[in-house]
Amino acid sequence: MDKIELIVCIKQVPLVSELPWDPKTKTLRREMAEGMMDPAAKHALEAALQIRKVMEEKAVAGKKKIRITVITMGPPMSEEVLREALAMGADSGVLLTDPRMAGADTLITSKILGAAIKKVRPDFDLVFCGSAASDSETGQVGPQLAEELDVPAAAYVERLDIENGHIRIQRLCDNFLETLEMDLPALVTIPPRTFFPRHVPLGGLQQSFEGGDVRTLLAADIALSPDLYAAKASPTKIVNVFSPTAEKENIRLRGAAKKVVEELFRRFEDRIGGAAGKDLKISDLKIPE
Amino acid sequence: MDFNPCMKHKVVRKTVREFAEAELGAIAAELDREARFPREVAGKMGPLNYFGLQIPREYGGAALDSISYAITVEELSRVCPAMGLCITVHNSVGAFPILAFGTQAQKSRYLPELASGERIGAFCLTEANAGSDAGGVETHAVADDAGNYRINGTKIFVTNGGICGLALIFAVTAPDDPKRGASVFIVESEMPGYSVGEIEDLCGMRANPVSSIFLEDCPVTVDHLLGKPGDGLKIGLKTLDTGRIGIAAQGLGIAQGAFEASIRYAKERQQFNRPIASFQTIANYLADMATEIDAARLLLYRACALKDSGKAFGEAAAMAKLYCSAVAVKTADKAVQIHGGYGYSKEYEVERFYRDAKVTEIYEGTSEVQRMVISRAVLNRLV
Amino acid sequence: MADKRNEIWVFGDYRNYFQNRVTLQLLARANAIAPAIDGLVCAVVLGHDVGEYVWEYGAHGADRIYVTDHPDLKTYSGDLYTHLMVKLAEEKRPEIILIGATDFGREFGPRVAKRLETGLTADCVGLEINRDGLLVQTAPGFGGNLLAEIVTPKARPQMATVRPGIFQEIPHDDDRKAEVIEIPLPPDIPRDRVRLLRCEYRPGRDQCLEDARVVICGGRGMGSKSKFKKLFELARLLNGEVGATRPVIYSRWADHEALVGQAGRQVKPRLLFSFGISGAIQHTAAVTDAEFIIAVNKNPHATMMKMADVAIAADANQVCTALIKELKRRLKSS
Repeated sequence: MDKIELIVCIKQVPLVSELPWDPKTKTLRREMAEGMMDPAAKHALEAALQIRKVMEEKAVAGKKKIRITVITMGPPMSEEVLREALAMGADSGVLLTDPRMAGADTLITSKILGAAIKKVRPDFDLVFCGSAASDSETGQVGPQLAEELDVPAAAYVERLDIENGHIRIQRLCDNFLETLEMDLPALVTIPPRTFFPRHVPLGGLQQSFEGGDVRTLLAADIALSPDLYAAKASPTKIVNVFSPTAEKENIRLRGAAKKVVEELFRRFEDRIGGAAGKDLKISDLKIPE
Repeated sequence: MDFNPCMKHKVVRKTVREFAEAELGAIAAELDREARFPREVAGKMGPLNYFGLQIPREYGGAALDSISYAITVEELSRVCPAMGLCITVHNSVGAFPILAFGTQAQKSRYLPELASGERIGAFCLTEANAGSDAGGVETHAVADDAGNYRINGTKIFVTNGGICGLALIFAVTAPDDPKRGASVFIVESEMPGYSVGEIEDLCGMRANPVSSIFLEDCPVTVDHLLGKPGDGLKIGLKTLDTGRIGIAAQGLGIAQGAFEASIRYAKERQQFNRPIASFQTIANYLADMATEIDAARLLLYRACALKDSGKAFGEAAAMAKLYCSAVAVKTADKAVQIHGGYGYSKEYEVERFYRDAKVTEIYEGTSEVQRMVISRAVLNRLV
Repeated sequence: MADKRNEIWVFGDYRNYFQNRVTLQLLARANAIAPAIDGLVCAVVLGHDVGEYVWEYGAHGADRIYVTDHPDLKTYSGDLYTHLMVKLAEEKRPEIILIGATDFGREFGPRVAKRLETGLTADCVGLEINRDGLLVQTAPGFGGNLLAEIVTPKARPQMATVRPGIFQEIPHDDDRKAEVIEIPLPPDIPRDRVRLLRCEYRPGRDQCLEDARVVICGGRGMGSKSKFKKLFELARLLNGEVGATRPVIYSRWADHEALVGQAGRQVKPRLLFSFGISGAIQHTAAVTDAEFIIAVNKNPHATMMKMADVAIAADANQVCTALIKELKRRLKSS
């Protein structure tokens, strides 16, 4: 291998403090919100950047060219996260934006991303995705993209090494710490509990906007079937959206710390003791049996 | 005319905001309380190009445009004005003069160290008897036969004084020439005769180590002279124009921080069983704040755009500085008012903004001096 | 096999059996919704020596159980399980497939759905049948700030991964017997592309906060690092775990491991203490599943105080100290 192609799928999500929802169409009004790079996707990008560094250091003699391509699908303003990714160290970016792609659920998203990867990097070695995006929180696109690309995959990867055409992984899955090995090409998803992302350098940002390699692809460019409209083709439909946060009728205590703690135990000693699994009743108050 | 921020400016803002909130947000109050400059944070800012915002790439800088520069200072100041101050002074009056007036040798020697933050820059004009009136400067540099100088004098209120590795010293070289009597020297902090006085005990911006700087028979070779002998005033004036953009950005950031805190508080604070934001008086305060901040921002970005297009921007920068600093003071004042008793307590950040805001009306030319600059331009035009 | 009822499948996820009873919970929910669609509750069990689970699922409400029991399946394998599940689903054409939203389930479910070209709703917290006979899947988004009701009108099966702990399991009943259908391992099964080199059970290493019955969260309102440390003593007395907000992590009062929030951990304790936390949405979104919240904050109008069941307007540090003292007194006396 004289060349390694790493791909990172990233997503722009609305800043968590804003939830611009269109109640008529029941979709996120992303154009209304300021976006940010999804945190898990940012960790995935960091993982790719760190792997590249490790491999470049290892292969001083071999002189491998390791290229990182970031791909995002979304409205035109998603280009922001590609520029940001370039500033962090990615080599090139691909923006998939087309009204026909709007409203895709995870099944259709994975097909579109898969088609794009086959188009721009047919010789890819490893695809990185965030383990779950902070907006819809499905965590489904990674595994479904692996299916679309027909490659082995592992989710929740915390450590990885690439060596001689395969990848070795450590991950925590349902309390099992697993060490796995897969042949390349493959796909991994990265949870936001490892590979903490670097800050974005301002010089890199300026350069990414000046001469960064970002190309935009439409549905036709990746040979999506002409009658594929994502919103229609997606098997799942959102029928209702609501906010569960109703303000609670709560009990309010104030005063000196000692007093409120006494009051707290007077009213809730069973609840506190029950949760802690401890008997917190004062023994001299217990009625002898 | 396009009033929409371009994508780059939006991303620069988010990037700096994320950095500032992550690295400075939790410690800004503590830094103020302890009057401590966060060297550990500055260490992280070096590789991220915060010390080389507009320095060209060949010297290790970020080569940002002026609006990006203003946004950076604004966003740092929104969270920690004292760090915003360090960055704006370093970039606009520490590094800029070398970039604008330095020889190739001086640029190659100093700009990389400045851009990486290895040396933090400062500009030393003010003295006990000289501020905006540069004519009162007593620090003098005497040349010997070989053209080398010895500098003697005391500079006061030097921003970044306690941490600077490179000071630009404004000194008299020809006492009898009122127009071309002053020169600017590049002095490295390790040079003999250079020493730093005590850190000033100031009302605000307490995390920035503002100090005096003493020069006692400080020997500088001729290659430390910036520009030609007698260029001092010219360099000083040009530098101040640039510096004003930075201070305006700082005022804007303080206003924005105080405004956002006020919005949060006004929605959260209940009196008479409803949030105080629902009282018309408070709502009006918030509306005025929003309007003035927006106006200040437009004035500032216009000055930046003029600068980048190579046009004269001195008057626009003075207007931006005058207005942004006034908005900072007024917004911080109203923010404290909205917070009531809590606003007067160090528990809430608006108390700090209130103290930090005032100096933006004072340094890099007081508001009175800005008005002088602006009125001169106005009057000249009307002949 | 003349039974024409619509099959509702529940994937038998038994690997973390004693910690995680989600399969039993799903069997219960499947039983509850079955009448509305003339449904038959089926479990699918893949593995080796799985007789114990087959019996258990029967006793907990499965009417029919498909079992493939083979030594090659003795460890969980995403590749092989996906292949077998898809093959079986293509043959039996279930109406609904429910999968526990365990780590494994959330990796396995999407792959099955993709191969079956059908929809999948993630981490559901509600499952109902609507008037059209469609499965209405309620899924959270934005850290629980929004709930979406999602249906799959045309594609089949309708698939969901379901959050553990939402539904109540049916009590064990030895008299309930399921029809067990053995499915032999097909001869053409592809090789597993993922080689498992090592697998260690890590009881709760990373999960302790998520699984804790008592969580003590602290914010900057605790005042200082040394005061924050008291929370660990309180946690010890209450058999709890300590969580922290982002500003606390940035101030280095606690390790990043303790972050409760958007980029950290989601907690769902029976009892949550919240000390000196105002309640930025990044944090509150991660504690919405707490059963009972006691918040302490000087500011009575902080968001966290509004979310709380008991809101104590007082200095967080002082209340923490008083709580520790009172707990010690009570624990000594009993």
